[in-house]
Amino acid sequence: MSQFNSVLLVGGAGFLGSHLVQQFRTNKPDVEIHVFDIRPFPEKLAKYFTFDPKEITFHQGDLTSAEDVSKAIKDSKCQVVVHSASPVHGLGKDIYEKVNVLGTQTLLQVSKELNIKAFVYTSSAGVIFDGSDVYNANETWPIPKVAMDGYNETKAAGEDMVLKANDPKNGFLTIALRPAGIIGPGDRQVVPGLRQVARTGQSKFQLGDNNNLFDWTYVGNVADAHVLAAEKLLSADTRDAVSGQAFFITNDAPAYFWTLARAVWKADGHIPAKTVVLPRPVAIVAGYLSQTVAGLLGKEAGLTAFRAKVVTATRYHDITKAKTLLGYKPQVDIETGIKYTLEWLNEVV
Amino acid sequence: MGKLAQLVLHPLELRAAIQFKFFKQSLHPRQPTNERETLKHCYELLALTSRSFCTVILELNPELRNAIMIFYLVLRALDTVEDDMTIKPDIKIPLLRSFDEKLNLKSWSFDGNSPDEKDRQVLVDFTDVLEEYHRLKPVYQDVIKDITHKMGNGMADYITDEEFNLNGVATVKDYDLYCHYVAGLVGEGLTHLIVEAGFGDPKLEDNMQLSESMGLFLQKTNIIRDYREDLDDGRSFWPKEIWSKYADSLSDFSKRENYEKGLDCISELVLNTMDHIKDVLVYLSSVYDFSSYNFCVIPQVMAIATLATVFRNEKVFETNVKIRKGTTCYLILKARTFEGACEIFSYYLRQIHHSCPITDANYIKIGIKCGELEQFLESLNPAPHVPPGATIPQTPHFVKAERKRKLDRELVPTLAIESLKCDVFLSLVALGFLGVIYSISS
Repeated sequence: MSQFNSVLLVGGAGFLGSHLVQQFRTNKPDVEIHVFDIRPFPEKLAKYFTFDPKEITFHQGDLTSAEDVSKAIKDSKCQVVVHSASPVHGLGKDIYEKVNVLGTQTLLQVSKELNIKAFVYTSSAGVIFDGSDVYNANETWPIPKVAMDGYNETKAAGEDMVLKANDPKNGFLTIALRPAGIIGPGDRQVVPGLRQVARTGQSKFQLGDNNNLFDWTYVGNVADAHVLAAEKLLSADTRDAVSGQAFFITNDAPAYFWTLARAVWKADGHIPAKTVVLPRPVAIVAGYLSQTVAGLLGKEAGLTAFRAKVVTATRYHDITKAKTLLGYKPQVDIETGIKYTLEWLNEVV
Repeated sequence: MGKLAQLVLHPLELRAAIQFKFFKQSLHPRQPTNERETLKHCYELLALTSRSFCTVILELNPELRNAIMIFYLVLRALDTVEDDMTIKPDIKIPLLRSFDEKLNLKSWSFDGNSPDEKDRQVLVDFTDVLEEYHRLKPVYQDVIKDITHKMGNGMADYITDEEFNLNGVATVKDYDLYCHYVAGLVGEGLTHLIVEAGFGDPKLEDNMQLSESMGLFLQKTNIIRDYREDLDDGRSFWPKEIWSKYADSLSDFSKRENYEKGLDCISELVLNTMDHIKDVLVYLSSVYDFSSYNFCVIPQVMAIATLATVFRNEKVFETNVKIRKGTTCYLILKARTFEGACEIFSYYLRQIHHSCPITDANYIKIGIKCGELEQFLESLNPAPHVPPGATIPQTPHFVKAERKRKLDRELVPTLAIESLKCDVFLSLVALGFLGVIYSISS
C-alpha cells in the first residue's frame, strides 16, 4: 500500500519524464499517474516502455503559469509533485532562467498553497561544477560562486529554492536529486552526440590523458531514485532524515571519460583505428580556435573550449548518502544502459 | 638483456637498487651470535629454502620473527611432502593428514623424500624445527598447528580428487577454494600471529575475508603468470569456467593463432583478481607494527606490479614473466609507508587501464573496475582534493587509513635520512666521475 495515491510528473513528456512514468507505474502500480508538460505526450512510445499511455492522465500547460499549474494539481488530486522539467544543455540563459528559476518558483508556490505533501526536484550534479576537478564529491561540497554555465547556475538556484521551501511543520516536504550524465532510451545528447563524433571520423581524437573519471547514470536508475525519494518523504520513519536534503545520483561506477565513449562506439560496431592524444591545454586552445573560426563562418563548432574543458575534467561523485538514506541501488549497469540506449537509437532512426 | 643494462635504462630503479643495497635501514637487526644452535640451524634452513622470504623474515620484529620463521618451515616441510611424486600415496596421504600431530612430538624427522627434492633437508632436520617450535609462545604454537592441520588435510583432499587431477580447476568457486588452501590459510595464520602479538587491529580476526583476499590476490596473480610453466609441468589452475569462454582447451592459448583469445582470457582473470584489491588495502591499513606491515605489503605490491605486467602480455604464453629486480627494490622502499603502497596500486591500476585496447573482450569492465578502485583509493585519502567547506566522511576504512598514515609519520625522519645519504653518495660518485673525465681530458 502506497502512502499516496496520485502523483503529478512535471516535465513527464521528456526524456527522464517518460522513465519516471515507467518506474512509478512499475513500482507503484496503485498510484494514479498524471503528467504535466508544455509538449504533448509522445503518441508513439519506444518499444522499451511497457506502460499503457491510456492509464496516464495528461495535462498540457506552461510551468511558469500559476493558473496552468494550479489547475493540473487540483485536477490530479495529487499528494506528490515530481519536478523534472528542464531544457536541454547548450541553450541561452533566458530559457534556463525562465524554466529552472521562474518555473520552479511558480510550481513550489502553488504546490505549497494546495497542500502538496512531497515535492521531489530533479537537480543536477553540475550544480557543484565550475570547471575544476570534482573528485568523489559528496553533498557537503559547496556550490561554487561562479557556475560553469547558465544551465548549472539556474539549476543551482532552483535547487536552493526547493530545499529552502522544505517546511516539515506545515507538512510540506522537499528533496533534490542530483543525477550525473544521464543516458538511456530517449537520450538526445550524450550517446547520440558520441555517435555523431564517430560518424564524422573524429573518434580518433582523445582530448586529455583519459585519467579523468566520469559518472554516467542510466535513466531508469535516476527514475528509481525519484520513486524512492517520494516514498522516503512520505514515511514517518525516514522523512526527517531526507527532507530538505540534496542527493547525488549516479550509477556508482565512475569510469574514464574516453573509455565510456569508446564503449559506446564499440557497442555501436565502430572501433577507432588509432588514437591521437591532444593534451588538455592543447585541446582547450584548439577549442577556442575552432569556435572562433566557426563563428566567423557562421557555423556551429564541433569542438569548443567549453566542451574541451568538460570532457577533460575529473567529475565523479560519492553516492553513499543516497544509498544509505534513500536505499538507492542502481539496478541497470552502465554496459546494459549503453546497450538499451543504442537499441533505442536504432529503433527510432 | 643483462641486469646491469636494465638498471642503466631505468635510472630510478638503479637509484633504488643502490639505496636498497647500501643504505636501507633494518628495523630490527638480528643477533645470530647469541642464538642457540638449533635456532641458528633453523635460520640456515630458511636461507636454504627461500631467499626472498628469508630477507623479509629476518627484518621482522623479534616478537614474531621466530614464530613466522617456524611457521614458514613447517609449511615448507608439508609442501615438500606433498610435492614429491616419489612418495607413495599410502604414505603421503596419512602423513599430510596427521602432520599437525607431529608438532606434538619432541623429536621427529622424515627422510623418505627423493634425494632430488630440493628442500628435503627441512624434513631430515625437523627435530631442530620441533625444538624451536616448542619454545614459541603457546598461542603462536596453536596458530601454527591449526593452519598445518587445515592445510595438510586440504592437500590430501586435492591429491585424492580425481576430477581435479584430471581436469584442473572447474569453477570460479573451486578456484577460490583451491587458492584458499594454498594461500588463504597462510594469510589466516599470519593474521592470528600479528593480532596475538598486538601488532594489528584485533578486528582483523573478526573479518577473515580481508586476510583471505591477501592470500588470494597473491596466489591468483601467480597462477596467471605461471601459465606456461604449469602447462609444461602438466598442471593447470586457470578455472575452466573462465577459460572455456575463450578456448576449447587451456593449452590452445600457447599457440600463436590463439594469443588474442588468450589475452582476453587473461583480462577476465585479471578482473577476477582485482576483486581482492579493496580488501588488501584495508588489511594493510590495519597492520601497525612496521616490520609486520613490511612483511605483508612487499608481496602485495610485487603482485600488483606483476598483475600489470601480465595484463595483455603475450609473453605469458611463452615464458615466466617477471618484474625487474630494480622494480622490486623500488617497490620495497616505497611501500614502507601506507601512502606509498597506495600510490603503487594507483600507478599500476592506471597502467592496466591504459594498456587495455578497445578490442579487449572485457574493455568496459576493466575500465569500470579501475575506476571503482581509483574511487576507493580516493576515499581512503581524500584530503588533497576536498575543497574548503566540504567535510570528509569518516568511514571505517578512512579512519583506519588515517590512523595508519599518522603512525607512518614516525618513519619520515629515518626514511629521509636514508634517502639523503644515498643521494649524497650518488652525488659524490658523479663528482668523482666528472673529476676523472676532467683529468683525462686536460
